[in-house]
Amino acid sequence: MDMTLNAFTLSLLTGLQLGSIYVLIALGLTLIFGTLGVVNFAHGALYLIAIYLAVSINNTLGFGLALILVPPLLFVIGVAMERGLIQRFYDRPHTDQILVTFGLAIVLQELLKWIFGANNIPFAIPSWGNGIVMLHDYLPFLEGFVVYPKWRMILVVVAIVTVSAVFALLHLTRFGLVIRAGMRDAEMLQFLGVNINRRFMVVFGLGAMIAGIAGVFGGPVTQVSPEVGMQLLVPSFLIVVIGGMGSLGGAVLAGILIGMAQSFTAPYIYLNTIIIYLITVIILLVRPRGLLGAKGVFE
Amino acid sequence: MTDVKSEKSNHTASGWSRRDVLKATSVGAIGAATPMFFTQNAWAEKAIGNYPIKGSEVVLGFNVPQTGAYADEGADELRAYKLAVHHLNNGGGMLDTLKPSKLTGNGILGKKVTYVTGDTQTNADASRTSARRMIERDKVIMVTGGSSSGIAIAQQYLCNELGIIFMCGLTHSNDTTGKDKQRYGFRHFFNAHMTGKALSPVLSKEYGTDRRAFHLTADYSWGHTQQESMQEFTEKEGWTTEGNIMTPLKTTDFSQYLSQVLNSDADVLVLNHYGANMVNSLTNAVNFGMRDMQKNGKNLEIVVPLYSRLMAKGAGSANIDGVLGTSGWNWALEDEGSKVFVKTFTDEYGFPPSQAAHTCYVQTLLYANACEMAGTFYPPEVIKALEDFEFTGAGNGPTLYRGADHQCIKDILVMQGKSPSARTSDFDYLRIVDKVDAKTVDYDPAIFGGELGPYEPA
Repeated sequence: MDMTLNAFTLSLLTGLQLGSIYVLIALGLTLIFGTLGVVNFAHGALYLIAIYLAVSINNTLGFGLALILVPPLLFVIGVAMERGLIQRFYDRPHTDQILVTFGLAIVLQELLKWIFGANNIPFAIPSWGNGIVMLHDYLPFLEGFVVYPKWRMILVVVAIVTVSAVFALLHLTRFGLVIRAGMRDAEMLQFLGVNINRRFMVVFGLGAMIAGIAGVFGGPVTQVSPEVGMQLLVPSFLIVVIGGMGSLGGAVLAGILIGMAQSFTAPYIYLNTIIIYLITVIILLVRPRGLLGAKGVFE
Repeated sequence: MTDVKSEKSNHTASGWSRRDVLKATSVGAIGAATPMFFTQNAWAEKAIGNYPIKGSEVVLGFNVPQTGAYADEGADELRAYKLAVHHLNNGGGMLDTLKPSKLTGNGILGKKVTYVTGDTQTNADASRTSARRMIERDKVIMVTGGSSSGIAIAQQYLCNELGIIFMCGLTHSNDTTGKDKQRYGFRHFFNAHMTGKALSPVLSKEYGTDRRAFHLTADYSWGHTQQESMQEFTEKEGWTTEGNIMTPLKTTDFSQYLSQVLNSDADVLVLNHYGANMVNSLTNAVNFGMRDMQKNGKNLEIVVPLYSRLMAKGAGSANIDGVLGTSGWNWALEDEGSKVFVKTFTDEYGFPPSQAAHTCYVQTLLYANACEMAGTFYPPEVIKALEDFEFTGAGNGPTLYRGADHQCIKDILVMQGKSPSARTSDFDYLRIVDKVDAKTVDYDPAIFGGELGPYEPA
């Protein structure tokens, strides 16, 4: 298939949009890993809870309330999950953490299936986000009629704003300073009298809250069925690995890279299916710590 | 370990080597079994699969997806199976409409019908494990179920090998009764070829003969055959095919593929997707504005070759409004068989059955009736009773269970999505546009190749 400027623009936008979902999920995953050292395989299930909460609230009370309620609810669920289960596994081997979080993911997935059924629940896009954007009206180099769904462009903007907010929180606030210090050396921080455990609890909640934001805006795109969490978990986890375990910048970079790769290889099914693994292998061969992986993390 | 030691260890204190013991055991076993060989007479006594059945009960194995993407369809299949068992033991339902029928409502051949269930998980390995467990542990005489062609074909091969009749559940790939057909496998549901044949004339009538189609296709057995059949029959109507992209089965966001469609000259999008796949791809396509778009001076149209009520509900009626596809059966049909099935199912469960439920219910009754006609559970005779069996009163008009490939040749339905305002209930998503008769969708079974194999498994 010839790659015209129109096709290139569409693929670029699609890559950005696919990457946005991945980034929003991988961001929480890498944040939790970077601070707590926990490989949280239940993160996909947090996204799943978010989309089910979002669709339930959206379809009854409207999108506005879903947007206001779902992220804080996910924060609370995240904190409860951390206090109730995850914190008991901080000192256990990574294999134990993986097993318990993976098990939790399956339990949550089946629970949601039991409550809502295995069939998809239609997620209506609010009227202000519905419709398509006439790209050719704004980009004069495009020929003819080139359009893109408005909601997906909103999703990209939401991802940019969320990523910026997380970076600002970590780099411009005292809370972020403590968290970053805790990521480097949690023990030393405790010697200095900082209750790092409480802050880590907040970080876990924060990771879950980002999954909440992803659910509210990503639900209409990924759709709402019990399989979605697991399907997004594997690419998101690979993105964390490619980006460098615990590196927020790396997760963003890798998310966009994977999104672009999937978008541009779409016409070639066999390449499209393996591209994410191919990129993982190549990057890990060239840069074993991932794109922006820090020395000493997960080694 | 040394050679001397290992040699010594082969001998017992009495001087018997392990080999001697094995030989003696084998000879003893053959000796013990010998009288049974000679007391067997004719076919009726020969053991195949779990035949002969001991005791006063016969066990059927219902292997359906209870988890995974098709769990809702699986749940409906299971409801239908339980209803079929109830009717077989107590009478009622389609036992009153199926003709010809030897079913009496007193079990099968006087034996009370019981069942065990398994979970295919919409996974070939899991479905085989589950089927094997039912066959070996629970001693089922027949296995039925499934909601995917990959799973149906996997179970069909296993059952054929073990001498157990497999009555397919919901499977629509040409391969099931084509290149992968088996003597022990039977399909009541229609297939992709029949969909192409029935749907394409309706499409050209509705949308014209000068159309350019772009296919998005689920990358597995069913998707491939569905795409080939749709391409073949739409091209016979004068359409051209702009492109086809195989999409991985687990895709949830189809935007990268839909971008390719947008960038082509196609004015019809054919979604060879089923279940959650179709729900996602159709919803995504609507988000891309494809329902309101014009290409080549024509409205861009979306076609979903295989429809189900559960899929339509998942996609939402606003999205499927006007979209054409095919179904094997619908609860709104007015024939006696359909009416009695819908009534008994609704009385029992509170809502009407899906097409998956219908095909599973009918398959169970057809198997039971074949046993009654054969007068035995002996699989080769039951198979012969099913082959070329012609019947009515099961919801699809006069139907032939074709002997050459074990495919039912029957009427199929062209369906169209209803608009939200046209719906009358929570189950009313699709309208019957056309009932295409069995003669029109019939085809030469030789075109797909494959061999049924022998009546007695090797």
